[in-house]
Amino acid sequence: MSDLKQTASGGQPASGCPADEARIGVYICHCGGNISDHVDVEAVRERMEKMPGVTVSRTNMFMCSDPGQESIMEDLKSGLVNRVVVASCAPSLHETTFRAAIARAGGNPYQYEHANIREQVSWVHHGAPATDKATRLISAAAGKARLLTPLTPIRVEAQRRALVIGGGVAGMRAALDLAAQGVRTDLIELSPYLGGGLARLDKLAPHGEDAAGIVRELAGNILSDPLITTHCQARLTAFGGYVGKFSVEISPASRTARAQEAAPGAFVPGKGVLGPAQAPGAPERFDAGAVVMATGFSSYAPQKGEYGFGDNAEAVTLPRFIEELKNAQTAPDGMLRLGSRPVRSLAIIHCVGSRQIPGVHEEGPSGHLNEHCSRTCCAASINAALTVRKTFPATRVYELYRDIRTYGRGQEEMYAEASAEKVTFLRFDVESPPEVVRVNGQYPLEVRVRDELTFGENLELPVDLVVLATGMEPAPIRDLIDMLKLPVGADRFLLETHPKLRPVELPVAGVYLAGTCQAPMDAGEAANAASSAAAKAGALLRRGFVELDPFVAEVDPARCKGTGACVDACLNEGALRLQETEIGGEKVMRAVVTPALCLGCGACAAVCPEGAINVSGWTLEQYEAMVDMILSEAAFAVTADESVSASPEPAEAAV
Amino acid sequence: MDAQREYAREYAFDAVVIGGGIAGLQSALDLADQGYKTAVVEKDASIGGKMIRLSKVFPTLDCASCITTPKMAAAAHHENITLFTYCDVNEAKRENGRVEVRITQRPRYVDMDKCIGCRKCEYACPVLVPDAEQGGFSGRKAIRIPFSNAIPQKAVLDVANCMLCGKCASVCPTGAVVYGQKPESFVIKADTAVLATGFELNSRLDKPQYGLGQIPNVIDAMQMERLLAPHGPYGRVLRPSDGKVPDSIAYVQCAGSRDASMGVSYCSRVCCMYAIKQAMLLSGALPLADITIYYMDIRAFGKNYEQFYQNAKAMGIEFVKAKAAWLDAGENGSVAVRYEDQLEGGAATREHDLAVLSMGMLPGWSPRGVCPVDVAGDGFLKTLRPKTNPSLTTLEGVFTAGTAAGPKDIVDTITEAGGAAMEAAKHLLSRQTGGVSLREADHE
Amino acid sequence: MGTRTSAKAQGTILILATESCAYPGADSVGQAHSSYPANAYILKVKAPVLFPERFYIDCFRKGVSGIIIMSCGEECPYEGAYKALAKRVDAIYALMKEHGIDIRRLRLTAICTVCNRAFLNEVNQMNAIVQELGPPVFDQAAEA
Repeated sequence: MSDLKQTASGGQPASGCPADEARIGVYICHCGGNISDHVDVEAVRERMEKMPGVTVSRTNMFMCSDPGQESIMEDLKSGLVNRVVVASCAPSLHETTFRAAIARAGGNPYQYEHANIREQVSWVHHGAPATDKATRLISAAAGKARLLTPLTPIRVEAQRRALVIGGGVAGMRAALDLAAQGVRTDLIELSPYLGGGLARLDKLAPHGEDAAGIVRELAGNILSDPLITTHCQARLTAFGGYVGKFSVEISPASRTARAQEAAPGAFVPGKGVLGPAQAPGAPERFDAGAVVMATGFSSYAPQKGEYGFGDNAEAVTLPRFIEELKNAQTAPDGMLRLGSRPVRSLAIIHCVGSRQIPGVHEEGPSGHLNEHCSRTCCAASINAALTVRKTFPATRVYELYRDIRTYGRGQEEMYAEASAEKVTFLRFDVESPPEVVRVNGQYPLEVRVRDELTFGENLELPVDLVVLATGMEPAPIRDLIDMLKLPVGADRFLLETHPKLRPVELPVAGVYLAGTCQAPMDAGEAANAASSAAAKAGALLRRGFVELDPFVAEVDPARCKGTGACVDACLNEGALRLQETEIGGEKVMRAVVTPALCLGCGACAAVCPEGAINVSGWTLEQYEAMVDMILSEAAFAVTADESVSASPEPAEAAV
Repeated sequence: MDAQREYAREYAFDAVVIGGGIAGLQSALDLADQGYKTAVVEKDASIGGKMIRLSKVFPTLDCASCITTPKMAAAAHHENITLFTYCDVNEAKRENGRVEVRITQRPRYVDMDKCIGCRKCEYACPVLVPDAEQGGFSGRKAIRIPFSNAIPQKAVLDVANCMLCGKCASVCPTGAVVYGQKPESFVIKADTAVLATGFELNSRLDKPQYGLGQIPNVIDAMQMERLLAPHGPYGRVLRPSDGKVPDSIAYVQCAGSRDASMGVSYCSRVCCMYAIKQAMLLSGALPLADITIYYMDIRAFGKNYEQFYQNAKAMGIEFVKAKAAWLDAGENGSVAVRYEDQLEGGAATREHDLAVLSMGMLPGWSPRGVCPVDVAGDGFLKTLRPKTNPSLTTLEGVFTAGTAAGPKDIVDTITEAGGAAMEAAKHLLSRQTGGVSLREADHE
Repeated sequence: MGTRTSAKAQGTILILATESCAYPGADSVGQAHSSYPANAYILKVKAPVLFPERFYIDCFRKGVSGIIIMSCGEECPYEGAYKALAKRVDAIYALMKEHGIDIRRLRLTAICTVCNRAFLNEVNQMNAIVQELGPPVFDQAAEA
């Protein structure tokens, strides 16, 4: 622990300083060398300790560790500080950590400012400029901290009702888990069926569970659960509000694809369990406290000509092949037949529409490359190959792959079994992919491949069928992304807040992620994500209220003259309005904020001629103080003999 | 044997989580956030599990400590969570519809209530032994805080190496050192349990083809994590035999997985990615070093993993498709890697300054004789419904999270831990409302 | 310490970066360890629509050499804010001209959470401009 060096507090309170005089503690993290390898942390600490308003300045190897947090809490408890500045990694990682520590010590968690000196200093700058920049950023944070007032979170009552978007395995798992917690749940599904991508599959890799059986069971539980209302052939048409009280509008979607002969609750092979259709007519509106996104994936559609697809009826996608394989009858000669066509040999080509590489692959009509791995296709391909070899031993099977990714439990054993069952594996390099050529010989197609497993031998495989192991793409949910304001990653899947800290959460509070809308996964992984999302949503809704950050507009009644400029500028209807009040016996108009609706954008603050409205915790005055501190040379005003010890590096020359 | 123990105390909780690694902590946090009183039982002197021992984690290259410590601190401070560290589970069973766990807490020889974590004892202790927390590369004292970011920050005395000189007790400002401390046994009763017992790496000492640990400068990946970690033994990457900065580093993939000779037929799921991650960190730490990864298949299957792998290739890390057949000691401390060259054909040999074995995962705990829960053929806990309820074990009311039920990376572990907490919460709800449990519904 | 460069002499660049796009975008640049000029200071903002015209002019007056507003562009989570901001920036340009400040010192751009290259381009371009122009000097006539 760094020893406590208390300086004589020479700083005069700045103008506009709140009544309780600012006593700022500055806590600088080494991040185990991540920061201190490039920033002279000790020099910064010494500079900060001399800043006006700063009563203590400490360093720690890991500020986020328990001892690091303890040092902050001790200073708060002893009254040494009443405002905290932590200089460490990006605030997205640890702002909440330190706010929570302050709260535990009895302080106000909003009298806190974060200086980002890792991602924005030590990882991008080096030497004296890095130390100087860190100094200025921390000074700016301290400048803002002086002006921070205590804030209280906004408490919103939470509706004990949730909306789940998507009726695949993830959506159904989430809905069942929410209902089990006593949360009334509405599940909406665009298609007429419950079951999603799983409904198209057969026996699942590697243990052979029956996909249809799983879909039947989950859908049966969904349809019989009194707390779950299922809306098939429905889409979300309007969305508003905030965590705890989202306003939702559901409208009927087109009803063309419905199987007329089946009754609701019936299982339709390859499609799923027919669910109750959203009633035609007027949209249905209700409030929901939380939303689970479970919109699933789309299968990659190969481009015309990609491995012979579109040009040859004998080139099909893996999902299509799995469906056809389900219906294939065994024959005495042990040969697979699709329709009446015998399949003497077939080749499965991996990574179609996945692991695409800029400069090697061409962008499809979407204008995007799928650089991601689709995770499930290797196991699904080998599972299909094994099914063929076991059921139709007279049919040869080739697997053409880049890397076999049988990562999951039991999958590697399945891969070994496929080899034992004489599935022939050939490995190709992404730069010289296989070619599918139509030939007029005994076989309709020939697959030409340079096989790396035989030291680059060029092979020609005669085949009756080519199966393309197509990958997963995000489902086309642009409308939902826009309506719910959801972030997407470079891979176009929905982007979680942090893959490890908050893997099923989104920056929009109260909206959670479940399943393949986030990234490719198999059924079990999607179920895990869905249950995890339901646990988070349930924890929020079961409590009955939500606490929101208090970063919303606040009107200074003494300054407001009722011009209405703020109301005109406000971007969220209902957040700001003029209200008649009586002041000194005179009826006047004054601006009033509805905190739960205020977005905190500050559009109002910029236009108020009186400077009477500001966003709490983000005021213009605070920003001005930060700019002043960035420009200020005060932190560097050390005496000559101190400067020698303060900086081990030679002073930086002018640019 | 167990009959001889005296279980002096009994604690009641809604849920008990066995294992205080990232899986157990996440399950406990999710249960506690739902209002359930939760106990976490950890075998080590600190919570945090394997993750807290890592340097940085893929694919974001966040420092592992930065992700783990907040969850450790959150669990330690949560009003609904109680931590029990340094504990052995003697027995875990179902009794009258509840889970009963019989536990013995090993003596730390330090009074937890008195210790303030000041480390004066550690500084005074004259005994120096190899520190397993640092891959055995550096020393530690017989009495010490387990590692820098340990929770709780309380000293623990390693009685096997203590020579009872009394220095620690004499310098301790609070009189916390208690040489005569005895093990304490107690019972935790809870309505549900989550088994998050984690994994161990299999040992490089067990592989004859790779020298049984006798070849200098052949280390395992967990040791490399320590060399790369900010709190590492040398503060930089040096090879252990002579302290030379390695110019050429080899990664031998599937050194303990997909390998019948090691008794591990399965894929350990994380080794490809951790090797790529370490290679990237090494190329940052040693910009001039050549890094070669000998692999069978690169399994970069998670979100943004493939892109991470392609970045590594673009950075100049060499990927050689080959299973290394044999390792030998070369000249001047180098390591000779013999492999079959897939592109040129035939056997080839290359020398490297340092070789890292990407060892695989073994179960961290065997329930045999302790808990009547089934394990599968791979030795990990058997799960009943891997496609719809992946955390269900064969024991009612007992769930599993993370690598206890098979190798898993951190992202998948954390998500599964949330799922396990959900299953445990459902079990609690069904008990409280007297409703039909999920399992009874299954048996209809 | 006589050789230390003051903030003004370095040509301070202020970056107003939105909390949901550009600020994490800057973190992403950090995670990639891509270097950029150290005189660029990033302030996290919920939405740059918060700042009135005078804020920018005051910044230049205080000695800021260049300002980049890194917004979310079309991805803006506050519907309508980007339009209002674009309008405001036009007004600021007019004011800058009045004061004789080169309008290249202010730039409005959109940076996403993974737009590393765009971020680096913007900062490097602005740095070239401020190094060429030096600290801002207000037109005395306009001031009077």
